[in-house]
Amino acid sequence: MRSKATANRSSWSWRSGVNFFMAASSLIGELRGSINDESARIQREFEATGDGRDCVAQRTRMVEEILARLWRDVISADESKLANLTLVATGGFGRGWLFPFSDIDLLFLYSDRDTEQVFKDPVRRFSQELWDLRLKLSPASRTLAECERYDPSNTEFTISLLDCRYLAGDRDLYRKLHDKVIPKLVMRESKVLLQGLAEVTRERHSKHGMTLYHLEPNLKEAPGGLRDCNVAGWLALISAIDKLRDWPEASSLRAPVRKQLDAALDFLMSARCFLHFRHKRDDNTLSWEAQDAAAAAKIGARDAENLSAAEWMRIYFGHARTVQRTVTQLLEEIPEARSALYRQLQSWRSRLTNADFSVVDGLIFLQQPSSLQDPEVLLRLFHFMAHHGLKLSATTEFRIEQALPALASTPPRGAELWLYLQETLLQPFAADALRSMHSLRLLTLLLPEMQLIDSLVVRDFYHRFTVDEHSFLAIESLHRLKQSQSEWDKRYAELLSELEEPELLYLALLLHDTGKGMPGDNHVVISLDIAERAMDRLDVDPKERAEVLFLIGNHLELSATLRRDIFDPMTVAAFAEKVGTPERLKMLCLLTYADIKAVNPEALTPWKAENVWQLYMAAENYLNRSADQRVHTEVNSEKLMRLRSLAPVAGSKFKTFLEGFPQRYLMMHTAEEVMRHMQMADELATDPVIVELKRGRHWYDLTLVTRDRPALFATLSGVLAAWGMNIVKANAFSNASGVVVDTVHFTDRFRTLELNLSEWARFKNSVVSVLLGEADLEKMLRDRQRSEKGAIAKVRVETKIEFDDSSSSTTTIVQVIAQDRPRLLHRIASCFSRQMCNIEIALIDTEGQMAIDTFYLTSGGLKLNQAHQQKVEKALLEELKAE
Amino acid sequence: MTKIEAVIQNSKLEAVKTALQEIGVEGMTVLEVRGHGRQKGHTEVYRGREYSVDLIPKTKIEMVLADAMVEKAVQAILGAARTGKIGDGKIFLSRVDEAIRIRNEERGEGAL
Repeated sequence: MRSKATANRSSWSWRSGVNFFMAASSLIGELRGSINDESARIQREFEATGDGRDCVAQRTRMVEEILARLWRDVISADESKLANLTLVATGGFGRGWLFPFSDIDLLFLYSDRDTEQVFKDPVRRFSQELWDLRLKLSPASRTLAECERYDPSNTEFTISLLDCRYLAGDRDLYRKLHDKVIPKLVMRESKVLLQGLAEVTRERHSKHGMTLYHLEPNLKEAPGGLRDCNVAGWLALISAIDKLRDWPEASSLRAPVRKQLDAALDFLMSARCFLHFRHKRDDNTLSWEAQDAAAAAKIGARDAENLSAAEWMRIYFGHARTVQRTVTQLLEEIPEARSALYRQLQSWRSRLTNADFSVVDGLIFLQQPSSLQDPEVLLRLFHFMAHHGLKLSATTEFRIEQALPALASTPPRGAELWLYLQETLLQPFAADALRSMHSLRLLTLLLPEMQLIDSLVVRDFYHRFTVDEHSFLAIESLHRLKQSQSEWDKRYAELLSELEEPELLYLALLLHDTGKGMPGDNHVVISLDIAERAMDRLDVDPKERAEVLFLIGNHLELSATLRRDIFDPMTVAAFAEKVGTPERLKMLCLLTYADIKAVNPEALTPWKAENVWQLYMAAENYLNRSADQRVHTEVNSEKLMRLRSLAPVAGSKFKTFLEGFPQRYLMMHTAEEVMRHMQMADELATDPVIVELKRGRHWYDLTLVTRDRPALFATLSGVLAAWGMNIVKANAFSNASGVVVDTVHFTDRFRTLELNLSEWARFKNSVVSVLLGEADLEKMLRDRQRSEKGAIAKVRVETKIEFDDSSSSTTTIVQVIAQDRPRLLHRIASCFSRQMCNIEIALIDTEGQMAIDTFYLTSGGLKLNQAHQQKVEKALLEELKAE
Repeated sequence: MTKIEAVIQNSKLEAVKTALQEIGVEGMTVLEVRGHGRQKGHTEVYRGREYSVDLIPKTKIEMVLADAMVEKAVQAILGAARTGKIGDGKIFLSRVDEAIRIRNEERGEGAL
């Protein structure tokens, strides 16, 4: 990476015929004039050719000339007579890269402290003259011995020595520095030096959010920028010097890597020169205006057709990606850069090696290089990455790139792809795997929709990152919740752990902003369209599809509601009704959290987090308290229309069945499920109790359709408890004609159903006979209790009972929070029954150890009066205290 | 020159901004704040736990205007921010000694 500036000085025409011994002041005047002329010429040439490398080389030459002239004038006219003081170019200047408004890195090298004293005044005058010439110096003064020491708090200085170049003064002194001191230092301190460099680099990266996908990147400091190019060179150089015990002959980077880096450098150098000339100072930020101007001037892309700013930025990001990958690989591959502890960790990780992949030093290798011909192995690879949080080795990445063209001809799709994708999205390091897939162009192969937002800069004052990075970051924010210590994050983390199908949330986050990649004002609507096509290709089942589309379609709803008065019940009601179910509410809340968090690091202020949470709680409470809003079949909602289309011949049966069910019933079930319930209700004349049982993803699902009768819910929960089933969630609804539809999600604590297929039928029959009054429930419960003696739950959740007399106009709402335990629901429901209360609606939920049960009660068809409420509360507390 | 500080309901920010822009106010600073006057806090019971908010989230707008503009701006804010209920907020006015534009060191009302 070191290109020595050539000694070609003939480009300067004024040099000939100048008297060396002119007076200082007129020398300054003359030099200032020629600096201005030459700088203007260099700028004109850059504007014509757009060649950054040439520009910096020319500027380097110009400054060298000035320095040489001044040196002769101020320090010593005769170089051969000068001993013990040398002027050395370091850093960027040493490399021969002097950007138009960069500082000039100089080192005044002394043989010893005494020499420093001797030359103190001349050197000061020298520096003064340079300042007068408006050449910004970044000077350092060291003795030779000082250069040999490595100061860990000043890694930058030692690194800058790696680019040293002789300018003027004592050549022997310089040779000592270059040939002896520096190699010795590097060999002695290579481990520490690499560590220091890695640390400084990581710090710089973290200042820029660890990503290169900024909307207005700093092309010097950001990941993938010019600094990183230098770091790549230094890492390779240090290793080479260490190995060869001397300076290497040529660049120490492998040829293909060097080629890619050179291409990136050409672009970045031209872009930086462009920025400097434009801003007339050392400003390296690609602001939007600068992006526009650069694209118009075709900087770094001379042969391109007319480029938009977004297209130009894509080229930038392409180069930045290359640079970042190179640097990351080099940082990983240099073994000395890691501490002993790290190596211990890595050797543990290598126990993760399996049949497909091996893990060496924290990097993933393929056991069989040709295995990627099987697309499944590729998918498993990223799942592995996402699960363990490891990076791919350079060889693995290379093989993936090789395998892609074959894959492109028949890309994986359908349910199997969705299965892998789901599983990967759920892993703790999913975002990193997605980023890797994206940079290797694999993600866009599997989900072409992602192409729309690839490196997409959208101009927006709040967003910091490109749209694709924003989506990955949002997914990452959710996974990170599990480790967060802050009070706010813990609440959201709890919510995340309660989700039934979190992969749907992650998929929604991945696709929610794809609409921004298409022209049009409303990106939400466009994203919906795109998501539908994507889910079509993934064969996502309709119920899941509806959830994802709901999330994408409403992903701005919560934020929008925050701009209204969130303490106003009307605002809460309107929002909650739009959301409809508690599960959707949870997902929407988390989606909003992740979306805001991924806008920029400061976007989710505690103020905002608190407001989001307030609105969530209020909406959740509203949903719990408003379940008795009934369906009226005269009203034509979308769901009702869909149902009507499914059952065109049902006619009045449809009306009779649906009338009087709570809205919640319709929200919780698909149209197909409602149809099935209607059919079951139809058969009640011959079969008064109909029970259906299914194995769901997390639980067993039992559906009961029958006519209402006293203590029905208590009896149902009783028979389930008697069979050792643990009710996790349940909903009990009834319609205006007294038909009850109860759905119960339960877990099989003793694996009765799992281990014995015949038990399914026996269980169902048992439920039916208990409900028909043909079996002795009390005996069954006693038997169960005897066999389970001793299983007393440790009470950690305090029992809380809350009556709400105002939310419902026809019922009294009771919410019971209690420690979850066997037969809990049966005991609560039986207690209500004994207290002459009828359960109109039940919303049963369990989260961890906490049972959260909401009942809508009536007594004699009316709400409960105060006295009755108190009696019920007392009885319930007694009941729940016992045991 | 006078500094206007207004604490308003969050839901009124857009309306107040628009009203101010309409009368020609070109600069303002917006802060997310918490506080209360006589408005009572809010308690939400969620899963049996009480979440009390006694410092209610509000929005604060600040701007420094030439004296001639002040009354117009105050009227604009009043009109846009008022709902008539407790919790609407307050406006404070104070004297400003000097204003300086960083870009070109312009001073006085010209810097506003």
